[in-house]
Amino acid sequence: MSKKIFIDYERCIGCKACEVACEREHGESMIKVFQFPDLTNVSFNCRHCEKAPCVEVCPVNALWRDKDGAVVVDPLRCIGCSMCVLACPFGIPKINELNKVMVKCDLCADRREEGKLPACVTTCPTEALKFGEVDDITLAKEEMVISNLIGREKK
Amino acid sequence: MAILGIDDTVGTNQKARVFNREEEQMREKHLIVCPYCSVGCRVYVETEDGYPVGIEYVDDIPGIPNKGGKLCPKGNVAFQYAQSKDRLTRPLKKVAPGKFQEISWQEAMDEVAGRMNEIKGKHGPGALAFLGSEKCSVEDNYLIQKLARAMGSNNVEFAGRLCQSSNVVARTKILGSAPQTNPSDDVLKADVVVLWGYNPAATNPVFFGQYVEKAVLDNGAKLIAVDAVKTQSAKYADIYLQPYPGTDLAIILAMINYVIENDLYDKDFVAKRVEGFGELAKTVEEYTPKWAEKISGVPANLIEGAARTVATGGKTAVLANEGLNQHVNGTAAMMALTDLVLITGNIGKEGVMSGAIPGAFNGMGASLTGVNCAQLPGAIPVADEEERERIERAWGLEIPDKPGLHYVAMFGAAYEGSVKALYIMGQNPARSLPDSAFVEKALEKAEFVVAQDIFPTETTKYADIVLPAAAWHERAGTAISSNRRVQWSFKAADAPGEAKPDWEILVGIANALGLGKYFYYSSIDDVLSEINKVIPALKGATPQRLRDDLKGCMFPCSDEKSETPRLFLKGFPTPSGKANLIAPKYIPPGEIPDDEYSFWLSNFRLVGHFHTGTMSFRSKSLEDRWAEGFVYINDQDARKLKVNDGDLVKVETRRSSLTAKVEVTPYIKKGVISMPWHWGFNLLTKDAVDNLSKIPGYKTAACKISKVRG
Ligand code: SF4
Ligand code: SF4
Ligand code: SF4
Repeated sequence: MSKKIFIDYERCIGCKACEVACEREHGESMIKVFQFPDLTNVSFNCRHCEKAPCVEVCPVNALWRDKDGAVVVDPLRCIGCSMCVLACPFGIPKINELNKVMVKCDLCADRREEGKLPACVTTCPTEALKFGEVDDITLAKEEMVISNLIGREKK
Repeated sequence: MAILGIDDTVGTNQKARVFNREEEQMREKHLIVCPYCSVGCRVYVETEDGYPVGIEYVDDIPGIPNKGGKLCPKGNVAFQYAQSKDRLTRPLKKVAPGKFQEISWQEAMDEVAGRMNEIKGKHGPGALAFLGSEKCSVEDNYLIQKLARAMGSNNVEFAGRLCQSSNVVARTKILGSAPQTNPSDDVLKADVVVLWGYNPAATNPVFFGQYVEKAVLDNGAKLIAVDAVKTQSAKYADIYLQPYPGTDLAIILAMINYVIENDLYDKDFVAKRVEGFGELAKTVEEYTPKWAEKISGVPANLIEGAARTVATGGKTAVLANEGLNQHVNGTAAMMALTDLVLITGNIGKEGVMSGAIPGAFNGMGASLTGVNCAQLPGAIPVADEEERERIERAWGLEIPDKPGLHYVAMFGAAYEGSVKALYIMGQNPARSLPDSAFVEKALEKAEFVVAQDIFPTETTKYADIVLPAAAWHERAGTAISSNRRVQWSFKAADAPGEAKPDWEILVGIANALGLGKYFYYSSIDDVLSEINKVIPALKGATPQRLRDDLKGCMFPCSDEKSETPRLFLKGFPTPSGKANLIAPKYIPPGEIPDDEYSFWLSNFRLVGHFHTGTMSFRSKSLEDRWAEGFVYINDQDARKLKVNDGDLVKVETRRSSLTAKVEVTPYIKKGVISMPWHWGFNLLTKDAVDNLSKIPGYKTAACKISKVRG
């Protein structure tokens, strides 16, 4: 089952700890915090789509899905053709000016390798970012909605 | 080191040494306290061959202030600032204005000692003044106040005067002690949380996210927020009050009025634990919500709603900070708020919280160690003869029995010439005191200025001698969080060049001054051990305990086994054991707008910067994201002034002016503008201070605005 980072933007205070954490791990940030005039903030990174258009269009198979379901890129294979950039509906892949290859969130592959959580998730002071199996997170959300609907506290 | 023969390996974290065979490097991780705010988050600094290469989250030590290792953006770059190219690495001597020459430590120490002894000889010890720092360790601060007193001067202060003194004075008078009453976990048990002039989402993000936000979003607590700007914290509020800056006192008095008038106060608590209720009731009679509405601009029904919620909503945590207390009526406001907490019975039990919230990671420690012109270590008043004599016996030194000069007065005295020598450790008064232009003149006039710091600052410019200090992760030491948690921070890396830990520099200076026998310490442990003996509240916070139990302990701790999570459960540390309500009269805020200077001017902090920016401006990840100041202008005012987002405006007060880009927002009160504090804001502020605490009224000034460029 694939794991993802879920964004609970109600909790986000726009502190950008996630951006700084990602930049610290990867040299540049793969997550971006968008701030809106009504004080809402949304922190956004790669969705690691189940039917990822970027993976499908890559002509040299530089993109693939790893064991946790993360969509990752092999910089040695990548030719910097920008097909993924065009295909991604969210505008996530970016071409690194210096190395001429695509860079994107890899759900902190190195950290997961060491049994750690993605940096942005660990650091987020408000737990606006959650990492887990899709089903677990949606179940928790369902439970919360239902308990609010019937006005009972969940166990 | 060599010159003092001090062993600096004590306190190095040897526990987590990993030899990485593949890379053939020594990879280690060292546990430090974050060098920024007073939450006191724990961070691992990772080093390779002794050089810091990264940080890691501390998710393996239960009980630390940042559960799960959470960090805000500043904690994520806990050592980035220290790698800035312009670190001070050698002692410097001023040879001409703005020109410095490198000298040896020996020369520097001799020069400092020679000049200070000479000035003391000619003009008496009152001509010397010292500044300690909330950004230095408990030990450093203890030593600088001991040094001041050994020289015969009580002129020793730090920035606590500028940010928490009104809170401290008010709570000490009423409750007998000022620090936070309950562990942060109790916020999760509160039914109501009040944030008054406090935006922890920006200033203490981990505390906000782990406690305040969880209380509100997950546990259903009601949030009341009071702030001139609707902030990222206030956006979660059930009740939001938006007063004119510095008129909050009117609202609190009206809340007390409402609670008493409507018989909503906690009668049992008031009868058993409080004195002075009758007097308070009489004083607030005239302060009705309608009256407060006229002064503060907050509708009376909102004030009444807030009062009812605090009094009847259940257990209430009342968290107040500089938006409320950094005014010339700051002490009165904090007194009134403390009265409100008391008459609603929200103290001395589980599930509540109130108390001082210092700005920096060791503000609490600097305060507790007696870096205060009127207080000795352990927050003992200088005038308390019995206690003073106890400390004199412990030190073998005589302590002057009259209070010294407070922070702002020191610089007034330097300007007038009665203070001739300033020894400044880790402070940037040229930007942190009100009316910067005046402070710079005072620094220029002082006969002899020593600045001990890690970077050149607006203040070191005026120093005759500059002493290079080790940054926080380059030395070991103790820090105390706003939640009273005493923690040991380990040494992670060596300081660059000849920079040294602050405590070592102070011991060297004491030696050169001929006071060596009072400063006989061979390691930082010796200093803390002396503190354990001199300050009863820290008796059990021994070096051994703090290194064995990495989550530290909450003072007061009377022995190595105990700590005190909650204060005032049984009584208050006052002569009668009861809290003494003080009934303050309404006092208007400092400078109020008039026809010429028609806008209220206030200021706030950004999550990505810290104080005057000496550290955070040098941290690339922060600087890239929070690059420049700006000014919030209400949308209706903006229309009238014909300014739009991004326009450059001049903000002018009677002192000076600043230009900044406009940010139009509906979230600031009409008639009020506000700017982040970090970028030279104090050029605009006035040096008026609160009578009781001497806190400057930073948060209000009258100003005018004009468009510079569209
Ligand atoms: S760290 Fe969390 S709260 Fe802060 S901006 Fe990112 S998602 Fe939002
Ligand atoms: S999971 Fe890792 S790579 Fe992806 S946005 Fe978060 S920190 Fe960056
Ligand atoms: S909340 Fe405070 S102590 Fe924690 S990481 Fe941020 S600045 Fe550091």
